[in-house]
Amino acid sequence: MSRIIFIVFSILLFIYMIWPQPLKIADFKPLPNSFKSTLDGDTVQVPNVSAYFSNNYREFALRFYKDNYQGAVKLPFSPYRLNYPPEYSFIAIKKHTDTTYLEELVYPLKGSLFVNGFEPYYENGEPKYWGSSKFAIGESVFDTKVTLRLFPSPFWARFIVFLGIIASIIMLKKLFLKIVFNKRLLRNL
Amino acid sequence: MSKVLNKVLFLLIILDFIFIPLYPKTPFLNINETFVAIRLEDFLIAITYAVWGITTVSEKKIKDLFNDRLNQAMLLFFFIGLVSLFSGIFLTQTVVSSKLGFLHFIRRVEYMMFLPITFYVVRTKKQLFTILWILMLVVLGVNIYALGQQYLDWPVISTTNSEFSKGLILRLTPGARVNSTFAGHYDLAIFLTSVLVILTSVYFGVNKRNRIWIIILALLSMGILILTAARISFVAAVLGMFMVIIMLKKKKLIALFIVILLMILIYPSQLRDRLVSTITVNILNLGQRYSAQTNDQRLRSTINIPTLAIKTSSTSAQTSTFATPSGKTATDITPGEPIDTTQLGVYRSFEIRLNLEWPRAILGFLKNPLLGTGYSSLAITVVKDRIDSIAIDNDFLRSLGEVGILGTIAFVLIIIDVLKRLRNGFRNQDKFIRHLCVGVFVMILAFLINAVFIDVFEASKVAELFWMVLGLSLASLKFNT
Repeated sequence: MSRIIFIVFSILLFIYMIWPQPLKIADFKPLPNSFKSTLDGDTVQVPNVSAYFSNNYREFALRFYKDNYQGAVKLPFSPYRLNYPPEYSFIAIKKHTDTTYLEELVYPLKGSLFVNGFEPYYENGEPKYWGSSKFAIGESVFDTKVTLRLFPSPFWARFIVFLGIIASIIMLKKLFLKIVFNKRLLRNL
Repeated sequence: MSKVLNKVLFLLIILDFIFIPLYPKTPFLNINETFVAIRLEDFLIAITYAVWGITTVSEKKIKDLFNDRLNQAMLLFFFIGLVSLFSGIFLTQTVVSSKLGFLHFIRRVEYMMFLPITFYVVRTKKQLFTILWILMLVVLGVNIYALGQQYLDWPVISTTNSEFSKGLILRLTPGARVNSTFAGHYDLAIFLTSVLVILTSVYFGVNKRNRIWIIILALLSMGILILTAARISFVAAVLGMFMVIIMLKKKKLIALFIVILLMILIYPSQLRDRLVSTITVNILNLGQRYSAQTNDQRLRSTINIPTLAIKTSSTSAQTSTFATPSGKTATDITPGEPIDTTQLGVYRSFEIRLNLEWPRAILGFLKNPLLGTGYSSLAITVVKDRIDSIAIDNDFLRSLGEVGILGTIAFVLIIIDVLKRLRNGFRNQDKFIRHLCVGVFVMILAFLINAVFIDVFEASKVAELFWMVLGLSLASLKFNT
């Protein structure tokens, strides 16, 4: 029985890991009613980064890109959200990224999308800190800036990691039986 | 040829047992991107491993080596570590520097390989006792040096921050804690915890003449442990010694043990103050707290924006700096923190773990539950505008975050196998070996208690000695078979 479960698990994991995924940030839609940033650091200087000025706050932006990511991957389940301390944006996005929140949308063992938001004002218009200012782009004024960075993974890397995982599980089971139950032979795997 | 190699190997192992704990953590080669340096002891260890490799090949013992299930578990742990590192570099891209990640991996191999090597080298009881006597002298040396630092202003080498770890020669300032040759008071405390637990057990396995030396060494070690003021190590030592007494069925000594413990806790010391502060600040949430002096301070304490500009004024003294001119309050204190400096230290010690270090490890685990995010991926943070290293200060979470559930299971299997072998040693015909096995068995448990708040398996000197002592104790089980 455990052999069948393991084989099914291996096949499902293999399909999941080799399933196509977005490989460039351009595969993601811009936020509604937004202006794409052309500032240094938001275009080609850092791979797979793009940024949008808009009036969309955190929950909307996260929900939007969660749906967008799932739509691009075409899997029956959405990526999950991981919440990071804002200062981690220096590593995940780029140094000196202005930020009030940083979240990651993750498809484990496939890839992830970091969503960094900078919101100088609360949604009710109250400034968050001394010196809060809105983003003036041309004649438009925006409340928020959302910066995205995609971390896709190459197919060959996923394939090697898949082999590594399967080999590790097989050997772990053998050793687990040997060490914990003093069993020498392995029947199922 | 083989005899000569074995003798050389034994001498090298003795040299390792002396050199690793006693030689200060002075850097030999600095590495970019980290303040962890290559030290002289790493070369000594490399030579030991090379000679061991040659000896194993010349004695045709390689097959035996791979047939041992403990070695298999260690190899599997290394294999999963490599898969995780590969995944961290190419898949999750969380290992910022592949060179750093690989060095972190090599570091684990370097520490853990001491187990099979020491196990291989020690073949007679005479060799075991030679090493144990040398270890006793080493412990004495470590303790005397700690006393020298505390009372005679002897030099201190520390690696507790990036500046100190450049190899600066320091002196203990008032209130600073001794670290002897271990470069960090926590490392010294864990070492002394292990010493105390093993000595407690071995005490009952030796003759009366040797017991006197053990008592002297244990009292000295306990005194230095108190000077380190390391709470978790003290708790681990107390629990470990208590466990040994219970396991050896010396129940009459429990009352004496409790009296000594109470005396230690009543006697004024930094350790006592920190233990009390742990209860009042961390558990009961008491103590006078710092309140915001300006509106800007209040706002700043509620938000976390690393690039936020500091409000300054040429006409007003009300800036965002939290410094106080009195000197009684820490200059970097923020609203909500305790004003008392001891309480502040204890408060921050826990809050940094709870709000910064542990969540990083949990995020690493959640991002890739099977393999984690790879070696070196967690221990990075941003200090000012520079990417810097941090500890995780919980080895269970660190393991889950770095090598995921698969790597952690492999590591747990290694520990389980060692514990099972030592438990078999409880029935050994030799009284001394029986007691040594009990002591080392409990030492592992004390290590695991320490691992809740400290990265014990990555603390170089302590980790190396840990695996060496495990190898030594497992080797002792070969003598009667």
